[in-house]
Amino acid sequence: MHRRHRRTLQLTALAAGTVLLATACNAAAKKDATTTSAGSSGKSFTLVTPDSVGENEFLKLAVTGIKDAAKQHDGTSKVYESTDTASQQQNVQAAVDAKPDVIVLVGFEFADIVAQQAEKNPKQQFLMVDACTTKTYKNVSCAVFREHEGVYLAGAEAGLLSRSGKVGAVDVLDTPQFRRYSDPFAAGAKKVAAKTETSTRFVGGQSPFDDSARAKEQANTLLSKGYDQVMAAAAAGNYGVFEAAKAKGAFAYGVDVNQCPSAPGTVVDNVIKRTDVAVEKGVESVLGGTTGTTVSYGLKEGGISLTGLEAGVDSSKCVIAQHKDVLTKVRALRDQIVSGELTVDDPAAK
Amino acid sequence: MFLDSDLLMSVLRALTPILLAALGGALCERAGVFNIGLEGLMLMGCFTAVTTSWFTGSPWLGVLAAAASSAAYSLILAVGAVTLRGDAVVLGVAMNLLAAGLTSFLLRTVFGVQGTFDDPSLAGLPLVGGFSPLTYLAWAAVVVTAVLLSRHVWGLRLRGVGEAPDAAATLGVSPARHKYAAVLLSGVLCGLAGAQLALGNVTLFSENMTAGRGWIAVVAVMLGRAMPLGVLLAALLFGIAEAVGFRLQGLGLPQQATDAAPYVVTLGALFLTTARRRGRTPRTTGSTRSTRSTDPSGVAT
Repeated sequence: MHRRHRRTLQLTALAAGTVLLATACNAAAKKDATTTSAGSSGKSFTLVTPDSVGENEFLKLAVTGIKDAAKQHDGTSKVYESTDTASQQQNVQAAVDAKPDVIVLVGFEFADIVAQQAEKNPKQQFLMVDACTTKTYKNVSCAVFREHEGVYLAGAEAGLLSRSGKVGAVDVLDTPQFRRYSDPFAAGAKKVAAKTETSTRFVGGQSPFDDSARAKEQANTLLSKGYDQVMAAAAAGNYGVFEAAKAKGAFAYGVDVNQCPSAPGTVVDNVIKRTDVAVEKGVESVLGGTTGTTVSYGLKEGGISLTGLEAGVDSSKCVIAQHKDVLTKVRALRDQIVSGELTVDDPAAK
Repeated sequence: MFLDSDLLMSVLRALTPILLAALGGALCERAGVFNIGLEGLMLMGCFTAVTTSWFTGSPWLGVLAAAASSAAYSLILAVGAVTLRGDAVVLGVAMNLLAAGLTSFLLRTVFGVQGTFDDPSLAGLPLVGGFSPLTYLAWAAVVVTAVLLSRHVWGLRLRGVGEAPDAAATLGVSPARHKYAAVLLSGVLCGLAGAQLALGNVTLFSENMTAGRGWIAVVAVMLGRAMPLGVLLAALLFGIAEAVGFRLQGLGLPQQATDAAPYVVTLGALFLTTARRRGRTPRTTGSTRSTRSTDPSGVAT
């Protein structure tokens, strides 16, 4: 009796496992190849994304970039959307098999896969955006961002807007790479208001990128001490930070894309990564024969910016749209950074 | 400087979801079903609460739906462990994995987004005296489960079923029925915990948003020896360790150190409680168990 039950259970588990596997394969096979055929020059570009593009602004920009590149070179572009690790690998393989002129990959997820493929296919050109392989390959070019420059400008806005003279940041983890989102924020605020008090809280915990409740509590510890401007660099936790700021009537700053619509009246501005610029310029330089190098994109190259400094700020739902005077000062700072007169310390370079 | 009202609020907010889930876990433990699927049950609650609140506009319906869906989800454990006599640990792990995958998948299909669903017009639970009503419910649940387990006939039978199912069965108490009830109740409580997290602590759903709270609840059950008051104290300990950890970051302690705080506290508490327990009962656990199971007085009534 007992044994029979155990058998049934094993069978059930096996069946469940098979179903799971089947769905996983199904999902992996789901690959959206949108082709924008236009030109006759024969130049072809393929973009492989780590996730489905959907409403992901960051990836949407990358798609815009690849389409623009195709238009400029009178060529064609394809987009392969991945949904998980397995489909990432399959999509890269499919892209390599099709032998386009350049394969563009967005995100650190692709570092290992690209390294393998670059070695196997020395004639295929790869462009990695927002990440790079650990070893350098002649046929892998990388485009990375100098986020700290944008964060510095956001910090300057916070310094100018703060009433309490206290600005803080909620960051994901205490690592040099993530400190790019908090240290320059403090530096920017101190640049425009020397007496500004600054503090950073790190979300940490078991899953620092997903834990919005924890990020909210971290923001609360800052807000309860009178901090009224908070940089939110906590991935999914950003929404928690926005909620906390909204409840206390304080202000927050978003990252990567325009996050103002998720809390209008609370989010002041965003440090945005122009993936489209990085993709377009990166493709350009690969076709021009410069390969195997890492190019960083900052304020100067237009790869990093603030929503407030871009066209369309008035319809962005960002608080900064009502502070034109602040924007004028921030523009002046940006020009100083672009001209090289002012350099922003990079925490990741220490 | 630590003991301000903000800290207290912060502790109580962090405590509520863990406490609700841990009480559910305690009921199962007492009925002899080791439930480590609390994390998955909670996550299902989070998703259902947000989805229902979004489509109906009522956070209250969200709470009810969360309780119902998690209870339904807990049937996997009930059927698997009680009826089919499967291993509860394996089932619990499977439930956690399935919940993480299922909610991510549903997030994509229902809302067409990845990672996080958040909208300014998503209705969260109202605050009563600074807390969501579920916070008060959680405290009431401690009292109710404590009374139920120690003073009520049903609670005594449940404990009997957990400690000596064969003896209970001979006395006409159905172990299966009581175990099912305990597991389903834990589903309801975890659903409430999820609703509290997704519509109370924050107002959004993000993938894997429970972020280990269910596991902390499992530890709280063990640390509190599955007694409602003990569970409350254990959960409170975690809440305080976490909230104080956040404050210590403000004083310049590195994040890595403050992250470790809840675990250091757990270990400390574990050492202290086991040391005390040993001092009190020199007999081995095996012999206590055998004396208990041959004594029918705790089961009948």
